[in-house]
Amino acid sequence: MKAFGYVSAKDVAHAVALLGEHGAKAKILAGGTDLLVELKHAVHNPEIIVDISRLSELKTIAVADDGLHIGALATHGDIMNSSIIRDMFPAMVDAAHSIGAAQTRNLGTLGGNLVTCVPSMDSGPALIALEALVTVASSAGRRQMPLGELFVSPRKTSLKPGDLLVDIVIAKQNLSKPAAFEKFGLRKGQALALVNVGAAFFIDKGNFLCPRIALGAVAPTVIRAPKAEAYLEGRKISAEAMAEAGRIAATEAKPISDFRASADYRRDLVAVLVKRALASAQARAAAKQKELAA
Amino acid sequence: MTDVTMTINGQTRSASVPPETTLLQLLRENFNLTGAKLGCDVGDCGACTVIVDGQAVNSCLMLAGQADGRQVLTIEGLASREHLHPIQKAFENSGALQCGFCGPGVLLSAKALLDDNLDPSTQEIRDALSGNLCRCTGYTKMIEAVQEAARLLREESRTQLTHARPEVATP
Amino acid sequence: MNEHSRVLERDKLDIAEPLSDVELRLPAVLPRESYPIETLTPDARQQTRAVGQRVTRPDGRLHGLGQTKYIDDLSFPGMLYARIKRAGIASARIKRIDTSAAEAMPGVMAVLTGKEIPVNSFGPSFQDQPVLVDDLVFHAGDGVAAVAAVTEQIANEALEKIVVEYEPLPAVLDPVAAMREDSPKVHAPNSNIYATKTIRKGDVEKGLAESDHIFEDRFSTQMIEHVSLEPHAAIADWDANGRLTIWATIGRITLARADIARTLKLPMSRIRIIGTIVGGNFGGKNEISQEPALALLSKKTGRPVKGVFTRGEEFTSTTTRHPIIMDYKTGVTNKGRILARQIRLVLDGGAYCSWSETTLGKACILAPGPYKIDNVLSEAFVVYTNKTMTGAMRGFGAPQVCFAYESQMDDIAKKLGIDPLEIRLLNAFDEGSPSPTGQVLHSVVIKESLRKAADRFDWEPRS
Repeated sequence: MKAFGYVSAKDVAHAVALLGEHGAKAKILAGGTDLLVELKHAVHNPEIIVDISRLSELKTIAVADDGLHIGALATHGDIMNSSIIRDMFPAMVDAAHSIGAAQTRNLGTLGGNLVTCVPSMDSGPALIALEALVTVASSAGRRQMPLGELFVSPRKTSLKPGDLLVDIVIAKQNLSKPAAFEKFGLRKGQALALVNVGAAFFIDKGNFLCPRIALGAVAPTVIRAPKAEAYLEGRKISAEAMAEAGRIAATEAKPISDFRASADYRRDLVAVLVKRALASAQARAAAKQKELAA
Repeated sequence: MTDVTMTINGQTRSASVPPETTLLQLLRENFNLTGAKLGCDVGDCGACTVIVDGQAVNSCLMLAGQADGRQVLTIEGLASREHLHPIQKAFENSGALQCGFCGPGVLLSAKALLDDNLDPSTQEIRDALSGNLCRCTGYTKMIEAVQEAARLLREESRTQLTHARPEVATP
Repeated sequence: MNEHSRVLERDKLDIAEPLSDVELRLPAVLPRESYPIETLTPDARQQTRAVGQRVTRPDGRLHGLGQTKYIDDLSFPGMLYARIKRAGIASARIKRIDTSAAEAMPGVMAVLTGKEIPVNSFGPSFQDQPVLVDDLVFHAGDGVAAVAAVTEQIANEALEKIVVEYEPLPAVLDPVAAMREDSPKVHAPNSNIYATKTIRKGDVEKGLAESDHIFEDRFSTQMIEHVSLEPHAAIADWDANGRLTIWATIGRITLARADIARTLKLPMSRIRIIGTIVGGNFGGKNEISQEPALALLSKKTGRPVKGVFTRGEEFTSTTTRHPIIMDYKTGVTNKGRILARQIRLVLDGGAYCSWSETTLGKACILAPGPYKIDNVLSEAFVVYTNKTMTGAMRGFGAPQVCFAYESQMDDIAKKLGIDPLEIRLLNAFDEGSPSPTGQVLHSVVIKESLRKAADRFDWEPRS
């Protein structure tokens, strides 16, 4: 790695002040699983690294009045082991578990995964399906926006120099929404997603209500599949409907061909994974109902 | 320069290093602990795995500064001159290490797993070792070795060996 | 909670009493205790049962303790770190190399280019590979200059300061096209086909004519890197008495010594090679690579010089497994007996020969498969292209042809409606069967093995 300066932030205010001071010359170090690789390959040559990895206030996972808050520095391992997330948002546990391997999951953070903004990010689809919000801190104060507005293009977010992603929020009304995450990679471990899918819907008298489908790795950023969602809205829940939604979602994907897979193969995967994700969300809802009944 | 002080294998050590020094470089070059290896330098192969505050991490993906104030366990801290750690014993008896280059990382991943779970399923072992690549294709024996180590450790905890075993350098 | 339970409290390090400066200066090693862990050395001359026993490796103890010393675990006083600048272009003529800015950098002790290498070529069969290219670039992973500096970081920065001007030349990338007369030549004026082998048995034309069915298929395999976990690494120390010691992660140290002696024009008696424990070879560490460059950097600086390849260099600048384009024409009877097999193999040799001749021979001999075929024609060609060189890798060509003939066996079985196991039992070698080269084979257990395997996994006949 090339030489750089290093400062370890003491708290969020200190971090924001440091980022405000150094602007584009600074890079934020959270888990480092992406940043260190990029520094080694000289993708970035920052003058200073602002290490936020010690900010325990950004590691909290807790339920507040407005919903579930996951601190941006919660690692994928923290998410997998959090009883709150296991209980309320198991799709996120699946997503976290599918990332890298134990060693990288113990370092890599949710916020880092989101702001690195690669199309295949595994944290994105489930959160988008549950319409998550993100909180950004800067010297101008805090602001909240839908997660989708964070993503601009591969490796580019709407964050400006000086901004710090601090918090991911799933609104209260969406917490009980059955959701699922499905991923297909070339190996079972340590593989980037060829396609990943998040799906969520309420069940209203046996019908789909507010279905949300998010697709990863098939467009410049994580995208929703509005046509497939519209098809499902109000429709009776059935395996056929799920399969048809998958087929529609496949037409909405805009995948590329690369050395991992062809665009056609990825489109086929979208159809299969959307169907699976919907089915697994339904199964999860059924299991939950059974649990509540018992 | 970044000043760091950390507990390594139970001993407190300090160093002053350039900020871009990784934890792996710090261990190998400043502290002469060459057990952790540089394999890929991007967090894929797991040869650099060490345990920091109880969790297995890729030391090539951590700056030395991030490890300041933390507890680090390297392969050198697993055994003493008196006793092998049960994981080491099991790996040796199973012939689970061939060229050995991935070994320190694999053993520490196994340690992190067994510290949490003394009766892991094959799937859990595979999951715990999925960040450790072995090109000698020795995974089957490694999984057997972890199972054997788990058995040895369960036996130990059953016999209530409460006296501090020196070889278990729990950080 | 057991005694191994992990520390859950993070970010807390209780240092009860401030440590003294003396204590903090101690190396981070465990305190010395009375010797030793129980011995792993077997008794001399003691005969132990081997077959059916689980083998405990004699080096397993040190591996498990993390005490095995690979090259990168060694260091010497005053040691420098070498890095090699890679061409990054498949085919080109070097117009100019300017190393002055790199040489002027503080901490850079020496820069080396190909022109300074006494005999700038090596290779286990043909000496066609330069240590550092001096005139023509043959593939993107070629080294064009090497730097020795006091730290790896400075060596890396120095590489960026070396200016190389290239005149791009047409690159040969398709091995089949490379065989044509009019193709650009990788090592002009020589043909791109640098080795061939042909095996004839019986009369393949006649056999094909007598067959009920002819199957014609093309199979191809990709380039594969060994990816040994330990990268290629070496330390060279050229001492003031003119003796050279090289610690190297090489499987064939005597061959390496001959090659190094040749490139450096140094008597072999002045060279000592210490083969350390190799962290994975698989055929990828069977020849020298950067060692002569490290030796010359050591000579220039009077200091030991260490070089460790990056993972990227492992892929671009070390040998790989040959991709092979395999054309199979097989004649069979209605009952599935193979009467004739005609094979044409084109091995993509990459930029240099390395162990291609060995691979070519083995692939050619094994290409018909372990089957009794009276009429065989197997032709193999290995061809230069402007790609990463291919060389030895476990099996030397056998896995590639196995993929082809077994794939075709399945196709034949399916087409003829024969169980895939049956068609193999029908054609497989027996005790005393002659191989395609006429060797009479003994201890042939292929049919027993197939039957036993089928039995073990409950093979159900399918057709």
